Amino acid sequence: MIATAVSHYPKLGDGPGEQALRLAIGRVDRGEAGPEEIERAAEAMTAAAIKEQEAAGLDLVTDGQIRWQDPITYAATRLQGLEIGGLLRWFESNTYFRQPRPSPGIELAWTGPILREDLEFARRHATRPVKAVLTGPYTIGTLSDPSHLGHRRFVLELARALNQELRSLAEARPEWIQVDEPAIVNNPSVRYERDFSLFRDAMAVLTEGVDAPLSLYTYHGDVADVPKLLELPFRLFGFDFVQGPANWDLLREWPQEKGLGLGIVDARNVRLEEIGSLVEQVGRAVALTGEGLIHVSPSCGLEFLPRETARRKLELVARATHAQGVTV
Amino acid sequence: MSRESLLTTSVGSLPKPDYLVRARAARARGGITQHDLDELARQATREWIALQEQIGIDVLVDGEQYRGDMVAYFAENLDGMAISGLVRSYGNRYYKKPIAVGPIRRPQPITVAWWEFAQSLTERPVKGMLTGPYTICDWSFDDHFGSRREMVMALAEVVRQEAADLEAAGARYIQIDEPAVSTRLDELELAVEAMGIVTSGLRAHTTTHMCYGRFEEVYPRLLDIPVDEIDLEMTNSGLDLLERFREHPFTKDIGFGVIDVHSHRIPPVEEVKGHIYRALEYLAPEQVYIDPDCGLKTRTVEEARRMLETVQQARDEVRAELASGKVPSPV
Ligand SMILES: [Zn+2]
Repeated sequence: MIATAVSHYPKLGDGPGEQALRLAIGRVDRGEAGPEEIERAAEAMTAAAIKEQEAAGLDLVTDGQIRWQDPITYAATRLQGLEIGGLLRWFESNTYFRQPRPSPGIELAWTGPILREDLEFARRHATRPVKAVLTGPYTIGTLSDPSHLGHRRFVLELARALNQELRSLAEARPEWIQVDEPAIVNNPSVRYERDFSLFRDAMAVLTEGVDAPLSLYTYHGDVADVPKLLELPFRLFGFDFVQGPANWDLLREWPQEKGLGLGIVDARNVRLEEIGSLVEQVGRAVALTGEGLIHVSPSCGLEFLPRETARRKLELVARATHAQGVTV
Repeated sequence: MSRESLLTTSVGSLPKPDYLVRARAARARGGITQHDLDELARQATREWIALQEQIGIDVLVDGEQYRGDMVAYFAENLDGMAISGLVRSYGNRYYKKPIAVGPIRRPQPITVAWWEFAQSLTERPVKGMLTGPYTICDWSFDDHFGSRREMVMALAEVVRQEAADLEAAGARYIQIDEPAVSTRLDELELAVEAMGIVTSGLRAHTTTHMCYGRFEEVYPRLLDIPVDEIDLEMTNSGLDLLERFREHPFTKDIGFGVIDVHSHRIPPVEEVKGHIYRALEYLAPEQVYIDPDCGLKTRTVEEARRMLETVQQARDEVRAELASGKVPSPV
């Protein structure tokens, strides 16, 4: 059993040195420093995020997505053919993302690696395995304005472009490549019609020919009603059991060959869970899914929390994982 | 609704002048006393009240010169609420999110002295400005209740006490903002129930401001919110909601936002008049308050002044045209 994070990590904390990135961005915005200062601060904060995940006891870490403004625009601004528009609320949270839309007359295309350098930087600074994490085409496409392309065509074009990104990442032989698709969940703020058949088609295009262990993560709600979810071409499926308790239903007929991402520590609220309750949930998951692969994690990325709480949440994840005495 | 038609007002917050921004930063570093900061907030309040009077606005606000964040301000003044470390909202913007850590109580009135001060400066009515219980809950962490419903209800009780004290102090208008309602439409009933606690027994004119929402999806259920007036960001949402009023008439007063405040652009008076005339296709003039879409605190002082002037001038011209019967044909 493995303790891991889901995606992002706070970019700033209240402790000494933990404001480096915020201060650097402020100085660059005011014309007091060049962009290389942001670069240096981002590297330092990325290294710190990795170190803290390891110190908390995680077995598999992320780079903390320290450079990401939001879950959508990091990849969207690095693909050809997208324009970035106004701010929209990220689900029902108090955070925002900028909404992309296809540029008229420019073909949507992958023109070069997006996450490769970040992955390699993280690996140089980590002593544990690192997973590459990217937001999937269904989520980018659904939260964007598809404009003249229409939803289906836009999502599938994104899937084709990001398939090249996955192939490029796979060449670096990462431990895992994780695709995040929160837009497919049942969430009270979601007002679009969820298109399950488009989701399936997009996942097929996205993963085609990618030679690496792939995982699919969803959060901010449940995916219990997504048809044939576990047949999708991923090795591991990660769910949010805090905002999506109905996800427990998915464990009833769990395919032995699939890994489970068990998001049981609430990454949206500061209340610290009782370790006993977490251990009980891990035990329940083992009982339902058998002795297969389980990645225990927070319910989603940790940037919704103050840094100090984020650290403590990861310590809880690690304790709940390793309390089992089961090694897989 | 037996009152003058098309009264002008504003949503609540107004930008802080530079001297107050600097003083707040100095206060955060311990460089000046709270007393000195409060004196500068009073000075800024005087300036905003004088400016609104000079422009001709009918229902004034104090501009919230003494507040930082609309949720943290109340949390800081309630027992049982604490403030967290920094969390990011977007880009390089961070805020300290409140946390419920125990039973919530209001040890003393929070906004009443500030309201009394602002009202003492003018003969025109000044609105009492509160943040609603649903929004305080939704924008806070919970380390105590374990249930959103319990937390919202506990907050409703303290907001009710504050509203009652504002009314007792003489407030004729009380606004209870609920911008978070639009993000969790599945909890509209909870917000409605909580607002019922806050407004029960009040004789003052009650308003709630909401924004960032696709309200057409909760209309007409929106009208269940127990207030006299709902203030909506009509212009930023492209006036999309108006068509729904034909089918289901808007049965309350409406605060009708006529300027998009998320842009630096000051629209021409004619454009704002067009929005007012659009409103009057669906709503009676006595039912409509005219204001910018949302609080102006993110604009510069100069932009805020010009937006308020534009609102006022558009209203004055529409009123004159209505009175003389020279109503232009719909645009
Ligand atoms: Zn607003």
